[in-house]
Amino acid sequence: MKFYDLIWLIPILPLLGAICNGFVSNRLGLKKSVTHGVALLGSGLAWLLGWAAIVQWILDLGIHHTHVVRLYSWIQGGSLRILDGSLAEVDIAASFQLDAVSALMVFFVTFVGFLIHVYSIGYMHDESDRAYARYFSFLNLFMFSMLVLVLGSNLAVLFVGWEGVGLCSYLLIGFYFEKDWCAAAGMKAFIVNRIGDWGFLLAIFATFMVFGTLEFTEFFPAAAAHPEHFASAATLIGLLLFVGAIGKSAQIPLYVWLPDAMAGPTPVSALIHAATMVTAGVYMVVRCNVIYRLSPTAMLVVAIVGGLTAIFAATIGLVQNDIKKVLAYSTVSQLGYMFLGAGVGAFVAAIFHVLTHAYFKACLFLGSGSVIHACGGEQDIRKMGGLKKHMPTTYWTFLVATLAISGIPIFAGFFSKDEILFKAFEAGASDLNRFGSAYYVLWILGMVGAVLTAFYMFRLVFMTFHGEFRGGEEAAHHLHESPWTMTMPLVVLGVLSIFGGLVGVPGKLFHHPEWNLVERFLEPILLPIGHAAEGGHDVSHHAVSFGLEWGLVVLSVAVASFGIWLAYRFYMGTEALVRPQRLAEHFPLAYKLLLNKYWMDEIYGATVISGTVKGSRLLWEFDARVVDGAVNGTALTTVGSSFISGIFDLRVVDGAVNLIATCYDVASRWFRKLQVGFAQGYAMVMVFGAAILLAVYYLFKLN
Amino acid sequence: MTLAQFVPFLPEIFLATAGFVVLLLGIKLGHGGVRPLALVGVGSLAVTGVLVWLVGRPVDGPVVILGDMLVIDQLAVFFKLLVLAAGMVTILMAAGFLERFGYGGGEFISLILFATVGMFIMASGANLASLYVGLELMALSVYVLVGYFKLEIKSNEGAIKYFVLGAASSAILLYGISLIYGSLGTLDLREIRESLVALPTANPMLMLGMVLVSFGMLFKVAAVPFHVWTPDAYEGAPTPVTAFISVAPKAAAFAMFMRLFFDAFAPGVEHWRIVLWVASAATMIYGNVAALTQDNVKRMLAYSSIAHAGYALMGLVAFNEMGAWALLMYMLIYAFMNLGAFGFVILLESKGYAGEKIVDYAGLARRHPGAALGMLIFMLALAGIPPTAGFMGKLYLFAAAVEGGYVLLTVIAVIMSAVSLYYYFRIVVQMYLQDGEEEGAEPAPLLRDRWTEAMIAVCIVATMVVGVWPRPIVIWAKSAVGALGIM
Amino acid sequence: MMDFQYGWLLNLICYLPLAGALLMMFFINKENSTALKVWATLVVGVDFAISIPLWFLYKPDGAEFQFATQLQWIPSVGVQYLFGVDGFAVLLILLTTLLGFIAVYCSFTAITERQKEYYVFLLLLQTGMLGVFCSLDFILFYVFWEVMLVPMYFLIGVWGGPRRLYAAIKFFLYTLVGSVLMLVGILTLYFFNSTGLAAIGLEGLDHAATFSIPHLFTIAPQIPPEVQFWVFLAFFVGFAIKVPMFPFHTWLPDAHVEAPTAGSVILAAVLLKMGTYGFIRFSLPLLPDATLKAVGWIGVLAIIAIVYGALVAMAQKDMKKLVAYSSVSHMGFVMLGMFALNDAGLRGSILQMLNHGVSTGALFLLVGIVYERRHNRMIAEYGGLAKVMPLYATFFLILTMSSIGLPTLNGFIGEFTILIGAYNHSWVWALFAASGIVLGAAYMLWLYQRVFFGELSNEKNKDLKDLNRREQWTLIPLIVAAFWVGLYPKPFFERMAPTVDRVLQRVEVARHDQGPTAGDHVAELAHAPAGEAAGEHGE
Repeated sequence: MKFYDLIWLIPILPLLGAICNGFVSNRLGLKKSVTHGVALLGSGLAWLLGWAAIVQWILDLGIHHTHVVRLYSWIQGGSLRILDGSLAEVDIAASFQLDAVSALMVFFVTFVGFLIHVYSIGYMHDESDRAYARYFSFLNLFMFSMLVLVLGSNLAVLFVGWEGVGLCSYLLIGFYFEKDWCAAAGMKAFIVNRIGDWGFLLAIFATFMVFGTLEFTEFFPAAAAHPEHFASAATLIGLLLFVGAIGKSAQIPLYVWLPDAMAGPTPVSALIHAATMVTAGVYMVVRCNVIYRLSPTAMLVVAIVGGLTAIFAATIGLVQNDIKKVLAYSTVSQLGYMFLGAGVGAFVAAIFHVLTHAYFKACLFLGSGSVIHACGGEQDIRKMGGLKKHMPTTYWTFLVATLAISGIPIFAGFFSKDEILFKAFEAGASDLNRFGSAYYVLWILGMVGAVLTAFYMFRLVFMTFHGEFRGGEEAAHHLHESPWTMTMPLVVLGVLSIFGGLVGVPGKLFHHPEWNLVERFLEPILLPIGHAAEGGHDVSHHAVSFGLEWGLVVLSVAVASFGIWLAYRFYMGTEALVRPQRLAEHFPLAYKLLLNKYWMDEIYGATVISGTVKGSRLLWEFDARVVDGAVNGTALTTVGSSFISGIFDLRVVDGAVNLIATCYDVASRWFRKLQVGFAQGYAMVMVFGAAILLAVYYLFKLN
Repeated sequence: MTLAQFVPFLPEIFLATAGFVVLLLGIKLGHGGVRPLALVGVGSLAVTGVLVWLVGRPVDGPVVILGDMLVIDQLAVFFKLLVLAAGMVTILMAAGFLERFGYGGGEFISLILFATVGMFIMASGANLASLYVGLELMALSVYVLVGYFKLEIKSNEGAIKYFVLGAASSAILLYGISLIYGSLGTLDLREIRESLVALPTANPMLMLGMVLVSFGMLFKVAAVPFHVWTPDAYEGAPTPVTAFISVAPKAAAFAMFMRLFFDAFAPGVEHWRIVLWVASAATMIYGNVAALTQDNVKRMLAYSSIAHAGYALMGLVAFNEMGAWALLMYMLIYAFMNLGAFGFVILLESKGYAGEKIVDYAGLARRHPGAALGMLIFMLALAGIPPTAGFMGKLYLFAAAVEGGYVLLTVIAVIMSAVSLYYYFRIVVQMYLQDGEEEGAEPAPLLRDRWTEAMIAVCIVATMVVGVWPRPIVIWAKSAVGALGIM
Repeated sequence: MMDFQYGWLLNLICYLPLAGALLMMFFINKENSTALKVWATLVVGVDFAISIPLWFLYKPDGAEFQFATQLQWIPSVGVQYLFGVDGFAVLLILLTTLLGFIAVYCSFTAITERQKEYYVFLLLLQTGMLGVFCSLDFILFYVFWEVMLVPMYFLIGVWGGPRRLYAAIKFFLYTLVGSVLMLVGILTLYFFNSTGLAAIGLEGLDHAATFSIPHLFTIAPQIPPEVQFWVFLAFFVGFAIKVPMFPFHTWLPDAHVEAPTAGSVILAAVLLKMGTYGFIRFSLPLLPDATLKAVGWIGVLAIIAIVYGALVAMAQKDMKKLVAYSSVSHMGFVMLGMFALNDAGLRGSILQMLNHGVSTGALFLLVGIVYERRHNRMIAEYGGLAKVMPLYATFFLILTMSSIGLPTLNGFIGEFTILIGAYNHSWVWALFAASGIVLGAAYMLWLYQRVFFGELSNEKNKDLKDLNRREQWTLIPLIVAAFWVGLYPKPFFERMAPTVDRVLQRVEVARHDQGPTAGDHVAELAHAPAGEAAGEHGE
């Protein structure tokens, strides 16, 4: 039995942990040690098994081989007639696959996931035993879902993971459910994600309608084989899938949930809302690169949304004062870069950035967690400062990660981000899909975004760790370095933030393309489209001259350094915090705009949300008044007419009687005692009736 | 005219004699001997039943007797047995009732026997004259029965109304008969049919005659617009009488209806059908709708019996074999369920005369679960909910109408039977959903009377058995209509 | 067409509750509540136990109708006592017996007065419901169809909430009007077969006057469109009210809200299924032509129901009413899948019928549990329950997720299959219907948040008891079922496949006669040889 035949077990292990903690530890309130023991076992074994499987797969089968493990036939919807007129069997298997991209994801998801489990031990130790168990069972459950997501071998199974991570994110954001805003944030996350899923589902159905299958190994080759035949379908599917990605990866216009998601415990923010889940959208786009490469439109849309989000979120990040909020917006912005990369056809670069981002952003979040831990739950950086001397480990790791995200050479972020920006420029230069100018613009946005990134990240570092502590006296006493369970992961991630990028050295610059391990590793997922010559993505390498390429590298480094210098000028030394003050006073409107995040939440609240709620109220009125009213109305009419006919038999006749009765005289008084008048009235009714019937009769006789 | 000719006429003769005997015994026994008299009455009815069966058994085709005045056929046998059964049940239910209100049994029972004789003649008349005689014999006895409680103003009122209007309708009927006689020169049903067949074109006078005759019949079955007497008469009459007249005379009238329109006037169907269609629809709608808001149980059941006449008329409108036997079946089933329902009215009638309100039933299920269950069954049956006989009866009538192509009429009928559920369930609501302590609830104590209870039990059994196993009744009814002209 | 093996078993399953009810009526004292409970539980328990064999004995590749019984009932008009089930009915019967058991089991403490009548009515109701699914003769079917209304009326009317009288009679009359019109349709069909067709005199068909459904299947193609139209209309009213489809749904919220917990559970889980069952069993195969013409309209109504139901649910302040309106939305999915008239759609529709039974039934149980503690269903009354009732919160969460179609739970499989079928019929349908999953998540999660999250503000909730063992065991079977369907629905699909294929075959026939006239969708499918869909996966 080879490990790579057991890949289905990789998600199952943490699931067992989740079940165990959720239903045993949580019910019985077992000791914390037992709880996190189980949790670590679950995720740890998954980690080991995952890596073992990957290694064995590389050695035995080679990276070009997609290894599919089919468990059982899951959904059998019978046969449907698909677009080409043939009958296709709806037989969706519960099956997993190991190929380059999922291997890469498993590689870091299991690993980072494990680290964050470890970190959580320290971070959550104040919780009650049951809450502790609940937390770890959710965390394990998340590992399960995420691994299903990356290992799934068809869109349906991928969707299972996709929804699963959504659920876990919902549960973990709302972990402190007594706080209304936490619960609300969780709900917001889930519902916004669902909007994306709506697109995803439609994409799945469209895929089946076009290809008659949902298996990646079946419809990617099919699509690649006949590019022009599937071009239009690819646009539809690509765009619909991207709707899903927008929701999951918090892009414009569905990014609003991610900042709120910071309501969850910090390790969760690190794992789910920075390192893994939110990158699922990118993973999915890269996974479906064949579809996108068939459709220039879809590519462009992805690139534009990515580029815009990158800079948009960055601008908001400039002025936020909540340490986690800043990181959240930087995450949104970084995800934007990843989509920009995918949009310009740099799928490898995109996934590479996912990898490095996982390192440094997880490191940053855990660092912030450590800070918050030290400051006793304080998250406002204006109340921090000078923490450097109190918590050196946290500081240094945080600094390293910041350098990485700012794109300073050698550090992990540099390689991936620079690759993306370069590819964007290249796309412009080579006039990719004749959208060249658009790509140039996006490149410029990216560069500007880089400046902003460097600026707000260092602003964060300076305000948090440098200068004097602004948190007040008694807070100052409690400042302390975190326990090893928290610092150890920091160190590991810090190291990775430094060297993690070396697997993707842009070897071309040194005439050694083979140095770029990531590119070589992921090359198999980029199926050649049609006959390899054409195909949207691969631009001729001569679009950008060698010299210019170096130039761009230098430029982006310069840009980053400029951002850092700016931050230094603003937030360090005697002048610290004064300049930004002045700036804010100079441009009050712009400042307010950014500080309030462009009032996006308010706008959504006023339009979509209250619109829906009000609409539902109205509909309910309609239901009660009109629809049900019709029913009750009918009933009332019937009863009413019954009442009328009831008295008709008495009163109307009575009237007729009195009319006649006047003709009669006193003599008939004793007669009237018996109300025989009635009877005469009745007789009249009978005669009238008879007349009517006769009329009817003759009417029918005449014709 | 030999004596042998009178043999088939034995049942009527015996019954009439019995009537006189009971009358005299009544004078002798006075108010005390209601129950003995009742037994005599029931006994004589039973004997009559045996006679009817003996006379009718050998007959397959119709046998005409007494100078073509009467005909003995399965149709006649069916209706005779039906009215006999109704008579017996009525007498047994009435016994306790009469005792309670301190009225003697002699006249009462003998009048029921005379009425039965009248209905016998209606059921087997082969000649407009004999039919009319039977009708009047029945009618006069019933007028008296309705007014039987001479001290009750309501009773008298009902009787007078019934009488006056009945007289009017008889006049209409007679006028119609005379028109027919005038245009065809005969009163014999068979001859009428033959000459109608022979008749080249529709003769307006004749057609008018037919229509007027139908009016007379519509009055007897209490169809709109000739229903106006019903609510007052039913409300006013002593409850056992109400039970009786809502069942037996109606059945007999339908028997006569069939003799006339399925046999004699069959060829002229296109002329009278439309009238009956309108009458049927109007009757169903008016009866059911008007019943919805009646708070007096007897009045409500009066309207309900109007409505049921409407359903039954569908069988005539359909004018096909199924319509014929469905009508027979329905009369039988209706007899059981309606008599049963009235049985409970009798038992609950403890607050003076004709004071029975729906609220009397409040919380009955708590105090007398058995009684409540029985009443529930009758209400379901009257509303036509399976698995009761009421459903089976309606089913065939509706089926016949659909077969005849009268889908619209059927739709009216089904909608109206759904509506009817509402007022039948007003009683159920009182019995089960109220516990008798609510505002305005005036629960009445349930009286104990073995005989009535026994009769109710019989009706329950009949209603359920026929509902689940209607096959024998269907077969009987089918065989009974074989004698009619349309077949 | 018929397999008479084990016919007795089906009859036993159907009439056991009736027998139990009669025995209870006559032999158990109404004061002895323990005996009543034990006996009732015993009866429904045994009934469930003996219905399980159907699951194994049913042969998907066997005759269309199995476990059949055929007796003459009223031969003179061709009414038979005809019992028999196909896979579809087997699934519904199992659903009924399971929920019937749970309904009795969950009433022990909820019902304190007039217990005897209560359990008697529950048992009668079960026989009625089972009979509907077993009958293959129109009159027999109709008898059970109406019989069932009576006990339900009493369950609502006697043990219901404050407005029970109104709700009960509304339920009874509304559904009755529908069913009597259906009766007219049945009679029309009957006479068309016995008289109309006989007149046309098509050779090779016997036009014996009969209400036998299997027989009428054979003559369905000969029924001219105009006849089909009217009969379809009559059936539609009857079934659409039961489903209930927009705009015939307004009896549902009232009935649900007023009914006792067990009543709501049965109502949601089984009674609503009878409408959809009727469509699949009668309307589609018997009136294919009219069905094809109706597709567009019903599709629209179904989509309206999905969105409308969800939105109105969102506005509710009363938990039970919210769940009731969510039923409208879910049943909209069922109708949509059904009238996509393709394999996936129909399968999904059938599966979703079961799912809705399980999930919504369980949700009503849950609402009932908290109602029993607080005698209040207003959402505003609650909040922060997760703190005091963690287990309850967990169960509620699982079932919420199953109701909003989270993968690995039953709801997802049903909605996914329906939607893939709907998309296959028309992408517009799927486009709108899929929005139901967003709205579904919205109103359910909002409910969940308002009830379970936030501060434990209301004093009265401070010391609520968590689920006791009995309550847990009423829910666990349903949760297990939810996961089973969600993870391994294969056995369900296998059992419904033959039904689906046959129904589609019968509709296909009409498609060919009709050709492209019935819309391009039909035209697109018209050149498929009849029953090809069947051949693909009969096994």
